[in-house]
Amino acid sequence: MSATSYLRAASSARARNAVRASALGAAVAGLILAAAPAHAERVEKHFAVQSKPKITVRNSSGRIQVKAWTRNEVLVAWTNASGKSVVETEQAGNRVEVAAQGNEDGNSADVSKTDFEITVPVESELNVRTDSGNVTVDSVHGDMTFDTVGANLQLSDVNGYMVVKTIDGSLVCNRCSGKLEANSISGNVQMIQPSLDSLRVQTSSGNILFDGSFSSRGIYIMKNFSGTIEVHFSSSDSFDLAANSLKGDVINQASFKPDTHGAPHPASKWGHGFFGTMNEGHAKVELSSFSGTIKILKRD
Amino acid sequence: MVCEQFERILEQQEDDTLPKPALDHLETCEACRALSADFYAIHDMALELGAEGIAPPERVWVSLRGQLEAEGLIDVSVQATPQPVYRSAPGWWTVFQRPAVAGAFLGIVLAAASAVTYLSNVPQTAVQSQAALQQETSYVPSADSVFKEEVLTVGNDSIPGLQRQDTAVTDSIRRNLQIVDNFIAMCEKSVREQPDNQMAREYLYGAYQQKAELLATAMNRSMTGGLQ
Repeated sequence: MSATSYLRAASSARARNAVRASALGAAVAGLILAAAPAHAERVEKHFAVQSKPKITVRNSSGRIQVKAWTRNEVLVAWTNASGKSVVETEQAGNRVEVAAQGNEDGNSADVSKTDFEITVPVESELNVRTDSGNVTVDSVHGDMTFDTVGANLQLSDVNGYMVVKTIDGSLVCNRCSGKLEANSISGNVQMIQPSLDSLRVQTSSGNILFDGSFSSRGIYIMKNFSGTIEVHFSSSDSFDLAANSLKGDVINQASFKPDTHGAPHPASKWGHGFFGTMNEGHAKVELSSFSGTIKILKRD
Repeated sequence: MVCEQFERILEQQEDDTLPKPALDHLETCEACRALSADFYAIHDMALELGAEGIAPPERVWVSLRGQLEAEGLIDVSVQATPQPVYRSAPGWWTVFQRPAVAGAFLGIVLAAASAVTYLSNVPQTAVQSQAALQQETSYVPSADSVFKEEVLTVGNDSIPGLQRQDTAVTDSIRRNLQIVDNFIAMCEKSVREQPDNQMAREYLYGAYQQKAELLATAMNRSMTGGLQ
């Protein structure tokens, strides 16, 4: 090989090596980029819907905020700080489903934590299931179900038939109207200024607070095991009351008349009971506790 | 046919007849034979429970106990009397993790709870004679004992849902199981002290139902990773 051809060959080899090195570098960089978590990257998806869509949300951990707007569109936005959670969405006509899934290695709650912000038409049906992380729903009108383990739930200005099932999450219902069924083991339940015409709340060790007016044809059943049940009434409210605590006290600030509707209520052999009618007794209120205290308090 | 395909067919079939490829597979696969046997056993139990209305037959619970013991879901040490253990396939729990089967189990539990609750409510809706009261009290403890022995002894430490990595959820379920267990103990004490205290009795049944639902939630969260 001549010197010239040797130099040419060497130069060519260097060039090929440089290309290889560049390609390798690019590949390594690509791998690094692919493996790196997309830190708190916000992703948005839009779904055109007709009126009254049904939105289903599944999340294991993280915040879920649902609010309403006047558009016929569902906007789903999410962030996953670890970048390891996969969010799957599906639309079939007026049904939109959103599910956050951890990877198959089994992520910890921190890794799979995904925060959702979902905007839906005012008239929408919601179905939310989550384990931990708070859920808030504002100004949505439609039937709703919530199934949580430890997630706290806050509903504001919502209307519809609401079913809540939680293990130890709390429920705060601000200005809720329609029908509410809530079941918890150790979560507290608060209803502030509700306009409900049907209420059935049960919690074992949690407290129950009802601070609102009673609809004239409403039925309100509140039951717990060991917490406090507190009902605030105004002097213009009209309801029949039956309050029973087997091992706890019943504290009553109201001036009730004897209940003249239906069957008489004989004094219970056990525990503390109270029956009476306020004004015409249009609504029906049943309060029951095993060992907790029941308070019937006059609103200021 | 592979096992996964067979399991799908087993899940989806609505009558007792398996297609020929599935039957062929069944002949050659011991695991699927065991799976199929367990599936039909639970299916039959659910049917029998529905037919008998109020109290599930003892063998339902015996069989369930055997299967739960085999999977280590029941703490055998707390059983009052030894019961026959029905050996099942090593992968029996995979059957339990199938929604249809878990649903059948939960159905059994809740149906029994409902039956017990129904019995407790009978006196409220009918004129109650002393004889009826005695009859009721003779039925209810039997159902109570079924729950105590077969469901409530499912050990808190062996709930499959507690295998999850989300410690907050795990802790929550454990904590609330403890709460419900305490309530059950308090209610049982009240019922023992005041057997005709209807309110105490209702709270006891309510606590039983809560425990069943909590266990179902734990299983459900375990099966689906908490996501479905």
